[in-house]
Amino acid sequence: MTSALARFDPGRRAALEAVANLLIPSGDGMPSASEAGVAGRWLDEVLRLRPDFGPPLAAVLDGLIGTDPEVALARLRSTDPAGFGVLAEVVAGGYFLNPKVRSAINYPGQQSVAIVPEQPPDYEQDGLIASVIARGPIYRPTPGRKRDR
Amino acid sequence: MSPTAEKGPDRIPDVLIVGAGASGAVAAKRLAEGGFDVVCLEQGGWPDYKKARAPFPDYELTSGRDWAWDPNARQVPADYPVDDSESDITALMWNGVGGGTVVFAAQWQRNMPSDFQVRSLDGIADDWPFTYEDLEPYYVRVERDWGVSGLAGDTAFPGGDGPPMPPVPLGRMGRRVAKAHNDLGWHWWPGPNAIATQRYGRLNPCTQRATCLWGCSEGAKASVDRTYWPVAVERGVTLLTGARVKRLIVGSDGLVTGALYVDRDGNEHVQQAAVTILACNGIGTPRLLLLSATSAQPHGLGNSSGLVGKRLMMHPFGTVVGLFDDDLDSWQGAWGQHIHSLEFYETDPSRGFVRGAKWGLQPTGGPLSMTHSYPWGEENAIWGPAFHQQLRKRLGRSAMWGIIAEDLPEESNRVVLDPVKKDDSGIPAARIQYRMSENSRRLMAFHQERAKESLEAAGAYETVIAPFIRATGWHLLGTAMMGSDPSRSVVDPWGRVYDVPNLYIFDGSTWPTSAGMNPTATIAAVALRGVDHLIAERRDARTSS
Repeated sequence: MTSALARFDPGRRAALEAVANLLIPSGDGMPSASEAGVAGRWLDEVLRLRPDFGPPLAAVLDGLIGTDPEVALARLRSTDPAGFGVLAEVVAGGYFLNPKVRSAINYPGQQSVAIVPEQPPDYEQDGLIASVIARGPIYRPTPGRKRDR
Repeated sequence: MSPTAEKGPDRIPDVLIVGAGASGAVAAKRLAEGGFDVVCLEQGGWPDYKKARAPFPDYELTSGRDWAWDPNARQVPADYPVDDSESDITALMWNGVGGGTVVFAAQWQRNMPSDFQVRSLDGIADDWPFTYEDLEPYYVRVERDWGVSGLAGDTAFPGGDGPPMPPVPLGRMGRRVAKAHNDLGWHWWPGPNAIATQRYGRLNPCTQRATCLWGCSEGAKASVDRTYWPVAVERGVTLLTGARVKRLIVGSDGLVTGALYVDRDGNEHVQQAAVTILACNGIGTPRLLLLSATSAQPHGLGNSSGLVGKRLMMHPFGTVVGLFDDDLDSWQGAWGQHIHSLEFYETDPSRGFVRGAKWGLQPTGGPLSMTHSYPWGEENAIWGPAFHQQLRKRLGRSAMWGIIAEDLPEESNRVVLDPVKKDDSGIPAARIQYRMSENSRRLMAFHQERAKESLEAAGAYETVIAPFIRATGWHLLGTAMMGSDPSRSVVDPWGRVYDVPNLYIFDGSTWPTSAGMNPTATIAAVALRGVDHLIAERRDARTSS
């Protein structure tokens, strides 16, 4: 277990689960944050990828333990935007690592899509660029020179 | 052959270049082609594209770890602190081979003719000491060397040769907004980008992953670590990485004899040269001039005008997002810009401000980007019961205009040496003092409203004007002004420092005004113009000696 993961005992994970579900509840056929595993497997993965999130996340969660999650989350957002930012990035980052979530939102990742030259090019289709050209030049020329078109 | 030398050469080269970003690369390659012996000192290393994670699920999560733009956040050994506590905008940069081009959006904008003549045309600031027409041949040359895609004939510019590759596709969102602009009678044009749309030299064709700003994993973005530096090194340039210059060394005759630099192990070395070129960006260059003060030039090297470090310009940046019913595929494409608009670029006094801004139409990113407070705004926070509905509204169905606003030169906006903070080599850090002007605020407000109208005309059912954030200072300009009057400028029209005839500055520090464009095209063209002149002068000197 890495040092970053060692910091996240069941108490902190429970605190994370509680606030994570307020950020991303279930609905519209989508799982909640905890159902998607953001306090379990995907927290481990987020911290493996972003060990720099470990210390600030631990500090945020320690402030949440034993409090009403809703009240504590509202207070965090208003008093510690940076801490809230780390919490939100961990929750959403973990959520979107889950392949089931990615599939459900039809997000396949940043795909490799070759540029296939069109004939005519898309900027020429439907008279798109011809309209711009017809409106003529819009720049102010260098003093002493005329517009050359 | 390894492109990195471990230690400096024993010989005294013709030219020493400090900084391996855009202008340093242009100078190095051209000088090598001209038969000059060149050494370049670069404080960072080569980018590690193994960390470019575009094809992997963790891409959005890890991009901010390995490709952060803010040196204060990144804090790798190549970085030096920039105290921005007295600045409205945070300075962004990449310290390493390739410089800012490693993480730039590759939006390749020439300046317009009026950008060089703002005093003559608008009665403000200063004219540049040359015109668009003077620079145009150099734009054409660097666009071919660099690998730029786009389309000649843009109605916002004089005619002439365009980039060597066809433009990136407009895509669904580009076509929509282009049609809307035609309906409005507003300018648009296919976006010019330093992105290969076909195989070009060392560049692969773009695969439209929209990850240009966080390390191009495809080798399609034309950053100078991929384009210029391998060629320069093959032609004999010695590029030393991990070599941080502490100060320039000045001889008793007032000429620069070279630089004192520190390697990553903390060892100091001297690199001599006949001529020195600074290419360290609008913060690094004045920092180094101020660090190189001598008893004869106690206020900083080359600073008899008092302008070293002053007139810092960083381009206030705005974003307006539109939400559409249709799937626009807007996590894909070049990022980069699909189209640009210069409809409101020129001054119109009736608007209540001078100068203008360029707009670039961009993708909006993957799902994690949809949760961020920029550009969406705290008031539109996605969290809570509406999370899934909001995500579906944004992801793939949004497009955004990025707005680059011209800021005017003011001497109170400046770079100074930090009296306390030092980098990890013990060298005083930079401090920036920058306040956004009333002209900039009015300009931005006007452009945001017009950009909103643009997206609404394209069918957006909702628009969001992004909140102002500080972390947008990609463009660092103006802090070693170029001009024809030595009492009011640091360098002459060819980049030569008036007070030190064998010292040149080729980066964006020399800009008299900032224009409202992404600056790399003009930085590169001005560097090429300057280095051509330097070569001609030195050849004359050799011939006459």
